[in-house]
Amino acid sequence: MFGWTGNILRVDLSNGTVKKEPLNLQDAKMYLGARGLATKIYMNEVDPNVDPLSAENKLIFMTGPLTGTFAASSGRYEVVTKAPLTGTIGASNSGGHFGPELKFAGFDGIIFEGKSEIPVYLYINDDKVELKSAEHLWGNNVFETTDEVLKETSMDARVACIGPAGEKGVLFATVMNDKHRAAGRSGLGAVMGSKKLKAIAVTGSNSVKVAKPKEFLESCIDARNKLKAHPVTSTGLPTYGTQILINILNESGALPTRNWRDGGYFEHAEETSGETLTEKYLVRNKGCFGCSIGCGRVTRIPEGKFKSFGEGPEYESGWSYGANCGVRDLAAISKANFICNELGVDPITMGCTIACAMELSERGILSKDEIGRTLKFGDAEAIVELTEMTGKREGFGDKLAQGSYRLAASFGYPELSMSVKRQEMPAYDGRGVQGMGLAYATSNRGGCHVRGYLTSPEILGVPQKLDPLVTTDKAQWLKIFQDLTAVVDSAGVCLFTTFALGLPEYSAMLRSALGWDIPDEEILKIGERIWNLERLFNIDAGFSKADDTLPPRLLEEPMPSGPAKGKVVELQEMLIEYYQVRGWDENGIPTDEKIEELSLR
Amino acid sequence: MISPDKCIGCRTCEVICSFSKIEAFNPKNSRVSVIAYDEAAISVPIMCMQCEEPSCMIVCPVSAIVKNKDGTVLIDENKCIGCKLCVSACPLGNITFNTGERKVVKCDLCGGDPYCAKFCPSEAIRFTEASPKNINRKMLIAEKFKELFGEVEE
Amino acid sequence: MKVKFYSYIRDYTRCKAVDVSGCSTIRELLCRLCELYGKKFHDAVFKEEELSNEIIILVNGRNIHFLDQLDTSINEDDEVTIFPVVAGG
Repeated sequence: MFGWTGNILRVDLSNGTVKKEPLNLQDAKMYLGARGLATKIYMNEVDPNVDPLSAENKLIFMTGPLTGTFAASSGRYEVVTKAPLTGTIGASNSGGHFGPELKFAGFDGIIFEGKSEIPVYLYINDDKVELKSAEHLWGNNVFETTDEVLKETSMDARVACIGPAGEKGVLFATVMNDKHRAAGRSGLGAVMGSKKLKAIAVTGSNSVKVAKPKEFLESCIDARNKLKAHPVTSTGLPTYGTQILINILNESGALPTRNWRDGGYFEHAEETSGETLTEKYLVRNKGCFGCSIGCGRVTRIPEGKFKSFGEGPEYESGWSYGANCGVRDLAAISKANFICNELGVDPITMGCTIACAMELSERGILSKDEIGRTLKFGDAEAIVELTEMTGKREGFGDKLAQGSYRLAASFGYPELSMSVKRQEMPAYDGRGVQGMGLAYATSNRGGCHVRGYLTSPEILGVPQKLDPLVTTDKAQWLKIFQDLTAVVDSAGVCLFTTFALGLPEYSAMLRSALGWDIPDEEILKIGERIWNLERLFNIDAGFSKADDTLPPRLLEEPMPSGPAKGKVVELQEMLIEYYQVRGWDENGIPTDEKIEELSLR
Repeated sequence: MISPDKCIGCRTCEVICSFSKIEAFNPKNSRVSVIAYDEAAISVPIMCMQCEEPSCMIVCPVSAIVKNKDGTVLIDENKCIGCKLCVSACPLGNITFNTGERKVVKCDLCGGDPYCAKFCPSEAIRFTEASPKNINRKMLIAEKFKELFGEVEE
Repeated sequence: MKVKFYSYIRDYTRCKAVDVSGCSTIRELLCRLCELYGKKFHDAVFKEEELSNEIIILVNGRNIHFLDQLDTSINEDDEVTIFPVVAGG
């Protein structure tokens, strides 16, 4: 078989059985792989109203047809299940080397069902697959677990695992692979923990084949040349990592500051920026499998009370702990981020939840007694300490482990949670980047920036300059971005390649890998199909138009300063247009015609 | 020439190497391997260094291994009997036996234009002669290895 | 007025910010900066006579693309930001 391996592994954790099944090729053709295909399989098999942490829920790891090939940045795989944080479809994407290794072992994906009595881990060595006890690993952090599993299996294996946060059901626990890479958002690590599945180790010796090797090689070389020629992917990301955006968003007046309370300008942004990280702490760049960009940061804080070593921080976590908590100490931000990796916690939601607690505390809603310490914006020690406590669910960390929405709501102030569908929004203030406001409100997994990254045209002018302060054309652009992103995620390549590549390049790689003969538009249609499928899941899970909204702060409190001064997100106007562009009715439900057009159901 | 200080650990070399040999992607079939040291924050691409006095060539009982006029050490697949003595003889561990293909595999420099060097995104692998200038660089890298092992022994 | 530099533009200017006065448009300002920082800066900013599409210039946080481009007028109180097209996310 070409592109795909043609095999799926089904693991029933309740009775400890492992089965090899053929890939459903018809579904694969319609949903590609990774995010799309796993969502399709999930919806075929699981009731959308399932409790995410129950034995009835399933957890799917899935690669794409380009994963593990020479395609540009092909190290990606997706974890899919119903998300405990949001209750929406949960799909989190990760890089590193785990996804490709799963394919080299001969599998496109793994479906986990049921729940184990005792902690276990799965070891895949080509066709030899076994569940092993993980009782001795339970409680270990991500690094300890990875090292121990490698020792017990094979030193050239690749490991995905959870840390204590996933074991203890932190609602934004991550699945970590290759130690530092995260399927980060929506709490999928908590689902893994609820199944008592501590880790997956995989090593393989099979080949991934493509249908037309010569054409495929040419299309990959073309894509790689374009990545080398584009300033973002050839210079910006390798030199400064994703943190380079801190100063730029700040100067654009859209870097949310102190739980989004103080507008889009953080006066100490420079101290937390990518430039400063590179100058002070960067050890070296790191790339995921097959990646020519290498945006990963190996970082060392050489001395002081935040002395530490790890990877990151990325832009979003640099912001969530930095500007959003009012913290200017990059060493503390880095250390907090490293702890997230060790304990398996999503740093975006973590930083934002601490920021929310800081506002609750400054307003006198949360008392010092309840927190166990004083808590104010700007407290560098607090972000480190509270992250550690949350990952282990100790003290006040047990409350923070529910995310900002449940925390703020439990005190009667849900509006102070800067979240959409209970997931915290990342680092772009929609009042200053209008399209991002619409992107957050409509994302199928709640507050999220990697489903339709309109920051690219609105702030960076890639691939075309769009005015960030107007709503014109944002709905049309967002639809294209969301559909193309679904293709990229489902193909198994990194979203960052989209700065330099477009539909023609992805289509060329997919066509030659799979031996397809279909036009580019048909491939984009696959993305639209995936987007609508996810939407249908959410509707079946109880979400409606009323949930396609933003926190009142963005809709009612005008931006206090900067170029967007006086602006709120003009959401209603964009949303009506968005539903129309999507071919959905006025309640945001895909029409029968649209469902038929996309051959859904 | 390898420069581990520049290697980002992406293993693009492994992917393209296997593809250039078998038209499929399989790092286990690659003639180059990237060994990553997490704590030391370094990755080292390892491949046949085309020795001036190749142990593999000397040990081969059927003279299947020769050094051509460009200095490339090559295995003649028609002569090779698969005894794997060369695998044992290579002091650098850079000849492997691929259990899938049932063949001894070793870097042949892709006939003079190695793919690994061509597609290495960070110039950690370059195809050049070792000149005195390069040797100085090697000294710098050797220092890093020293640091690396220093940390391991601690 | 204050002019701020970010990302690898700093490699050409060797500073993070500079105060400049007496320029009334962005074009004038850029020419002045080119005199200060030389050819590398010039080549990064200009493509022939026009602004390179790899450079973004903000005046008080607004991209000059949505103002009057290189002819955008500026006064002494304005803050100008210059950075290359870089991204993250």
